[in-house]
Amino acid sequence: MEKIILLIPGIPIVIAFLLIFVNKKELIPKISLILSSMIALLGLYGAYYVISNDTQIIGFGGLLIYNQLSAVLVPYVAILGLVIRKYATKYMWDEAGYKRFFILLNFIFASIYLLVMSNNLIVLALAWQLMSIGLYLLVSFNVGSKTAVKNARWTMYIHKGADLVFLLAVILTYKTFQSLDLATLSEKWLLMSKTSLDDSMIFVIGLLFLIAAMMKSAIVPFHIWLPYTSEAPTPVSGLMHAGVVNVGGILLNKLAYLLMLTPGVLHIAFGIGLFTAIFASALMLVVSDIKRSLGYSTVGQMGYMIMEIGLGAFSLAVYHLIVHGIFKATLFLESGALIKYARHDPNIPERLSYKVFWEDKTGNKSNRLFYLIALFTILPVLAFIGVKMVLSEEFFEFNAAIVILAFAWLTGTQLFLSFFKVSKSDSIKVILALVSTFVLILFTYEFIGLTLEHFLYGEDALLFYKAATLNVTMASSMVMLAVIMTIGWLFMYKQHFVEIPNADIKPNKMKWLFYKLLAKEGFYFEIFKRSKKGRL
Amino acid sequence: MISGILLFVLAAGFPYYIFLEKNKRIGSKTIFLVSGFLLLCAIVLSFFIANEHPTSLVVISFLSALYTIYKATKTTNFYKLGYYFIFINAPFFMLFEDKGAFYSLSLLVSLVGIYFIGRFYEKNYGSANYLAVRGVTLATPYLSIYITVYLLCIALYPPFPNSLFFLNYLFSSESFGLWSIVVITLFAGNFFLAMRVMEKSLFGKPNTHIHYVDLTFKEKLLHLSVVIVLLGLSIYGLKELLL
Repeated sequence: MEKIILLIPGIPIVIAFLLIFVNKKELIPKISLILSSMIALLGLYGAYYVISNDTQIIGFGGLLIYNQLSAVLVPYVAILGLVIRKYATKYMWDEAGYKRFFILLNFIFASIYLLVMSNNLIVLALAWQLMSIGLYLLVSFNVGSKTAVKNARWTMYIHKGADLVFLLAVILTYKTFQSLDLATLSEKWLLMSKTSLDDSMIFVIGLLFLIAAMMKSAIVPFHIWLPYTSEAPTPVSGLMHAGVVNVGGILLNKLAYLLMLTPGVLHIAFGIGLFTAIFASALMLVVSDIKRSLGYSTVGQMGYMIMEIGLGAFSLAVYHLIVHGIFKATLFLESGALIKYARHDPNIPERLSYKVFWEDKTGNKSNRLFYLIALFTILPVLAFIGVKMVLSEEFFEFNAAIVILAFAWLTGTQLFLSFFKVSKSDSIKVILALVSTFVLILFTYEFIGLTLEHFLYGEDALLFYKAATLNVTMASSMVMLAVIMTIGWLFMYKQHFVEIPNADIKPNKMKWLFYKLLAKEGFYFEIFKRSKKGRL
Repeated sequence: MISGILLFVLAAGFPYYIFLEKNKRIGSKTIFLVSGFLLLCAIVLSFFIANEHPTSLVVISFLSALYTIYKATKTTNFYKLGYYFIFINAPFFMLFEDKGAFYSLSLLVSLVGIYFIGRFYEKNYGSANYLAVRGVTLATPYLSIYITVYLLCIALYPPFPNSLFFLNYLFSSESFGLWSIVVITLFAGNFFLAMRVMEKSLFGKPNTHIHYVDLTFKEKLLHLSVVIVLLGLSIYGLKELLL
């Protein structure tokens, strides 16, 4: 009976096939919604089955699996799919190619389900490539627009590159380990991890899989396709930023036991992920186009995700991709309503937050910066250390702690500053609010992160941390964290705490050059254009 | 060796450039049909003669394929494109040995579809040239579906058989220097050309000076039968690949 869950990847294909024969426009979203609700229900039932029986559902000759990872991701993708379909019902109504859109949407969802539920590297390779073509056809949906088609072409080039690299990795895996079954391979890799080995072939395989994941997840230097594909219809943008870019993280989670054998690859992932996170987040602040800004925001988040994987925090990457997906899909799908609202009332709505953090100014020019920094950095760190000491002492042997702290700090600050406009003169209230947000995020992250970690990998999670450890002592980790947080806090303070601007202040040359570098998106396109013209 | 040369003559591009393309009286449609027929002969022969080729022949056909990729970027004619794809994929036919026959058969079936598309263009728009008839996706959706399917098939995308036989070969063969170069170059070559045609024929705004015509019921059935054959080959390919 439970094997019926394994039919999930086939249901969107059936929907797409049925839609070909539907001529009444009203029926297209109805059929799509009703049948995709079935997927969500099946996904939830599957999750319930896996959790309650502590087992996995394997079928189709071992090709498909509904395991712990699927139990988390399939319901998420299914519910996201329902929301996107519902949103597209009205949003796409007047667009040419309404039926084509729903067919393509179902097609790409089928490939996502297949990818999540695959237990065989060939099935994974097929799903991986199917997703590329589905994405290409959706991104170029507005076929009449030259820029949409051009950007879709670039997207396709990068994704085809990812397909090729992925295929090479799969072939090498088969030739090295003589199996394509992921469950068998994972067991083999776990066994191998108990004996110390230094195999260059495993490093090459791991690196190829990492590059393939980076290409699909828009990690620097393969990021250019994501910020430029916002011309696609909003539901497609929502799907792309909340679903498609996450496949890199999903792939690396599926291959977690392989990556455990190659600490070198994990360290590369950490380095590139960290660079992407910083670089893309800086670009996000500087680029003038709001859609591109959102694109870079996603690139930055993907950088965090890869960085977490690089630190062995595989389950946190899963949690991150889900939370980020929900957040970004909300942003995209809400944009239309927000524009409509702004057209009616262009003024900033006077919410409670506005009165507390902005309007109610004291006018005092008190300079308590040092104490505030201390309050903002030391207090949360102490709170976290205290809680962690009580919960799991051994955790501090691994560097993932620094990421969790930094991530909680960044998410808390970003979240707070995204929603509230704050005044510099009323810093104490703001600082207290930021600290509360930080602690809230930290505990949520910790609670869900640990639960997810236990559910997905059990005791093996510690092995991942061990493999990924950078051999940095806890004390130096904490010092680094404090430095990062202080610098970050100062940056945030200068950027976001609004003061009356002084027109006479001009940036010095260095600052101006730095700004130009970011505003020009790292001169990525300039270099490309020049090299194309043969001037480089 | 003789069988190798025979199959090379039948499947690779050089003979066609020497004898057929130079002859002004022979149109691209005829070359397409002749080269398609010769490829079919090569496929049939390969079931009876051992499909093993010396490296030198693979190298020659690979060079021919590279030249053909260059030539294919200059054309906007479905017929020319069709036989260029045969020449481009000739090194695969030789390199894949026993599995090359099925790969080439899948290619041939998708090219049959391209041939029907070319004929449709010739009948309705005067020539098999697709450049002027842009924006097919919006104007004639059924035609666009079939062009997309054939081009995706050639661009080596699953679940179409070309991709599955290609993968099957990759898993069963021993990789070496020339193998890697040929496989990666032609994998990219097929993809770039197919995407180029897709962009120039399917996408863009429909031309207001052209009266667009979609497939008739008979034509739809014809293309559907080609797609069914492709699906049949896909099922066989999938079975070969997974079991």
